[in-house]
Amino acid sequence: MTQPIHNPDRTADVLIIGAGASGAAVAASLSEAGFDVVCIEQGHWQDSFKFPTTEPDWELRSMSSWSINPNKRKLPEDYPINVENSAVDPVMFNGVGGSTIMWVAHTPRLHPSDFRVKSLDGVAEDWPISYEDLEPWYDLNDQVMGCAGIAGDPANPPRSERPMPPVPIGKDGEMIAGAFDRLGWHWWPSDNYVNSTRYGEGRDACNFCGHNMMGCYQRAKASTDLTYWPRAIAQGAELVTGARVREITTGADGRATGVNYLDSEGNNRHRAARAVVMAANGVGTPRLLLLSDSDKHPNGLANSSGLVGKNLMFHVYAGVSGVFPDHEEPWVGPVANIILSQEFYETDPDRDFVRGYSYQMARGQGPGATARSGPKRVSWGQNHHAELGRRFGNTLNLGVIGDDLPEEHNTVTLDDRLKDSSGLPAPKITYRVSENSRALLDHALVQGQAVMEEAGASEVMINQLSREAGWHLMGTARMGDDPERSVVNGNGQSHDIDNLFIVDGSVFVTGGAVNPTPTIQAIALRTADYITNERKDLKA
Amino acid sequence: MTLNSDTSLLSAALDRVIPPVDDLPGAGGMGLAGEVVKRCEADSRFNAALTTVIGALPSPNDFTALDDEGQDGALRTVESSDPDAFGLWLDVVYAIYYMQPAVHRRLSWHGRTPQPEGNVMPPWDESVLEVARQREPFWRQV
Ligand SMILES: Cc1cc2nc3c(=O)[nH]c(=O)nc-3n(C[C@H](O)[C@H](O)[C@H](O)COP(=O)(O)OP(=O)(O)OC[C@H]3O[C@@H](n4cnc5c(N)ncnc54)[C@H](O)[C@@H]3O)c2cc1C
Repeated sequence: MTQPIHNPDRTADVLIIGAGASGAAVAASLSEAGFDVVCIEQGHWQDSFKFPTTEPDWELRSMSSWSINPNKRKLPEDYPINVENSAVDPVMFNGVGGSTIMWVAHTPRLHPSDFRVKSLDGVAEDWPISYEDLEPWYDLNDQVMGCAGIAGDPANPPRSERPMPPVPIGKDGEMIAGAFDRLGWHWWPSDNYVNSTRYGEGRDACNFCGHNMMGCYQRAKASTDLTYWPRAIAQGAELVTGARVREITTGADGRATGVNYLDSEGNNRHRAARAVVMAANGVGTPRLLLLSDSDKHPNGLANSSGLVGKNLMFHVYAGVSGVFPDHEEPWVGPVANIILSQEFYETDPDRDFVRGYSYQMARGQGPGATARSGPKRVSWGQNHHAELGRRFGNTLNLGVIGDDLPEEHNTVTLDDRLKDSSGLPAPKITYRVSENSRALLDHALVQGQAVMEEAGASEVMINQLSREAGWHLMGTARMGDDPERSVVNGNGQSHDIDNLFIVDGSVFVTGGAVNPTPTIQAIALRTADYITNERKDLKA
Repeated sequence: MTLNSDTSLLSAALDRVIPPVDDLPGAGGMGLAGEVVKRCEADSRFNAALTTVIGALPSPNDFTALDDEGQDGALRTVESSDPDAFGLWLDVVYAIYYMQPAVHRRLSWHGRTPQPEGNVMPPWDESVLEVARQREPFWRQV
């Protein structure tokens, strides 16, 4: 995308770190309000015509250069992550659009109860904001990203009309939905940021190719390089790519003055700004705050609470796969943007866990992926062909997204030895699945099995815990009213540094049991409006 | 392992992992060993797995001298001593085997890349919500 020439020596009003889901939303909002915005992004623009889904080796590439796991992708713009002490691997994409390049774009919202778990269930903490506080920005984000769905879901508060009708759920969706109906359990067509009709500049309707985790050739899936960034750039925002921030700089008064970064040639550079907005995701943001330690901030920046990097949440994922011998072509249609069930979302005192989970239906895949994935790899040797024949073209899945309550021992810290391609310390994840999460998953797997059997599955397979499923990165710089128990306030503003803001999933207090990105973007837009309305001092 | 290496051991192992079926030879007989080596050379993780697996098997002559059961036993020994490397090697082999048009034909799979053609989006049929719509709102009020 062409940009006008910007003066790199100026002091920008706002500098954003990370051009993903949240950074793009802030850039578009603040540039529209007349702020001078610069964003520094370590990755690059993607060309949707070059996504691997047009290549015969697409399945193999999903294991290497197009893996969702940066430790497998190993591109220079990725940073390695030490996961030796983690039950779950974080996954992400680093580039313009951030992880929305690879996301599925399944876009439910948190429930009102998710913001009040302490008051309602006596666990974790309440958020300093409510569902109602966020609602206008959820709606705005649905419009800009383009939401396909249908209002009227009884498991959620009423919603405004969705901009597009739902993505059709297909015969397979109807089959699973019918099972939920017969069991008397909730289901609803998923809200998706996937076009069911043409929507947005140059963005077609989905052509049901089934593989949107490797980028969307049709541009039917909303990623922020297609939605927010073109607006932001047209409004004058500057986006610097291939540039890695190594620290946030502070002045004598302790306030943020900008960032030091390495440009695309590896040169050390400084960019000055009146405010810094962090949008580097729930792993990248705590990493940078910890990397920005100094004599004044020996434990890292914005860390007087000691909570930077703590309370990491992923959402625990497990799954039930059903083999449906009479079903055909389970790869037709978006991979996991079909239906969801929230029958078991809320706390029930009769169960041995608090909070709950959602089911998200997912489709089958091509033969290579069928052979190597699912609850267990298809066996090699004499039984290989028979086993593959049973599973390929016949398998549908129910993913479980479990509420993953915050625990201080689940952390992002800096690794002593591992370094990224710029020589900066890599993040290290320490994460274990709590007893509550395990009990919740066990419950979900039993009920999920019942759904698959009711739907007519001839064989049901269980995946106890998905390892490569840390797609939701939350909690590592949480918001709150108490500076001793949180890193930022309800406006995303650091308690310690009044011109430092965080807008990514780091600020989540609890995770709920839904995919987080509409909430992340709503928070980002709300923080941007706070800056616009209350921090005019930051504008030159 | 490099493209110039002797691939006879790999080829024999591939035939045990994905044996012949119907009118198709096994993965080794299909000549996929060279492709496996080439793809592994391009990715350090894949290459490490391939090197581990091949390095842990008996020599080419010893392996091919074994009967089918003996060869499977040798592979199983590697699998249990280094399940991660073996699993990754297997994933690469599966991905390459299932890229082959002849394999697609046998599976009666169209074998097209997902894009640009895609598939046809069916119409949205609102009547599927008939039962779900009857439910009263049940989200937890706060
Ligand atoms: C495979 C996959 C599927 C997913 N599916 C869904 C889904 O269906 N629904 C849903 O709600 N969510 C989904 N997610 C999660 C979703 O993509 C994220 O929640 C969302 O993108 C997070 O937004 P963010 O702005 O916090 O971070 P990101 O979008 O990850 O962006 C962060 C950006 O910061 C940049 N950055 C980091 N550190 C630095 C640095 N030091 N210097 C410069 N730049 C830096 C990165 O390169 C990156 O581009 C999925 C994620 C993945 C990987």
